[in-house]
Amino acid sequence: MSPTPPLAAAAVADLRRLARTELSSAARVTYVLLALAATAMTVVVTSLWLTEPALPLRTTIAFGALTGIGLAWLTFSLWVLRSKHVLLARHRVVAGQLAVSFSSVFVAGCLLLGFASPSRAVWAASAMGIALLVIGVVVWRRANTAHTKLVARRNALERELSGGSR
Amino acid sequence: MSRAPSQNPDLPRSEDELLVVRCQLGEPEAFDDLIGRWHGPLWQYIRRMSGRDEEAQDILQDVWLRVIRGIPRVRDGSRLRGWLFGIARRVLMDRLRRQYALPAASDVNADDLAAEPHSPDREPSFEALDVAIEALPLIERETLTLFYLRDLSLAEIAEALEIPVGTVKSRLFRARRMARAVMQKETES
Repeated sequence: MSPTPPLAAAAVADLRRLARTELSSAARVTYVLLALAATAMTVVVTSLWLTEPALPLRTTIAFGALTGIGLAWLTFSLWVLRSKHVLLARHRVVAGQLAVSFSSVFVAGCLLLGFASPSRAVWAASAMGIALLVIGVVVWRRANTAHTKLVARRNALERELSGGSR
Repeated sequence: MSRAPSQNPDLPRSEDELLVVRCQLGEPEAFDDLIGRWHGPLWQYIRRMSGRDEEAQDILQDVWLRVIRGIPRVRDGSRLRGWLFGIARRVLMDRLRRQYALPAASDVNADDLAAEPHSPDREPSFEALDVAIEALPLIERETLTLFYLRDLSLAEIAEALEIPVGTVKSRLFRARRMARAVMQKETES
């Protein structure tokens, strides 16, 4: 039996390339943005759907379908982020920052629109946007805490190992 | 039979933990180090269990994908070895289950071999043990491979195989006897 893979160096290089591809930040950011866009779309459509009185059947069906599509994209992007492009500590921090930025812009837009031309739909979207902003802040803070803990643990282990090797 | 010195990176468990923490933080170099350090040991285990280079390469790639995707969920990095070999074993067994109905034993009769008397004065060489392990049935081959060739502790083997430590000990006892019997047979022939 060969003790190491045939062309071991090439095999290791291939695996390292595979790891880089798997860990690509671009893919993660894409799916985080997809999740945020799907959430924003779902919030807007649901706000209109719930606040417009006496909608014709066709419009109700269209709103229902759009909400379903938004939720499907949201579910898909979250599934990818959980099972394929998993978020490591620094990715989680970036994802939290994106969520806070995105929902802040969304809430600001809704509020501006609400003051310019008030309507029930805009206020409903603003309320949901604020809820998303709160969730985003919580996610960001948790990601920061986890990241800080890992950095502290890494530093402690490095000190321990450098002390032990002397 | 004493545990032979192996080529396995004999690192303290805190180095394993450091590697896991760096990976969890998202340092790309940490994944390079992880692959560089554990590619060889995982290859040897998978190759020995699967029996074919091409299949082992395929399995190994699958194992690494699962490792990369699963590492954020590792709670205790000091148990990296057991976790890695546990994943390798699950992927391997899934493949074997799909491809074959697992044979109860190879051409070596497990009961006959286990009944061979113990001869402490005839300790085998590491190379002879390496050859003998190849001839053992799957379960015994797996246990001895992890113990002798990969330097895993009994607790780490138990974690990787998802069995109690006591079962590891009894499998190891049986596997050693069987390996010794194979080596004696080889010597006589």
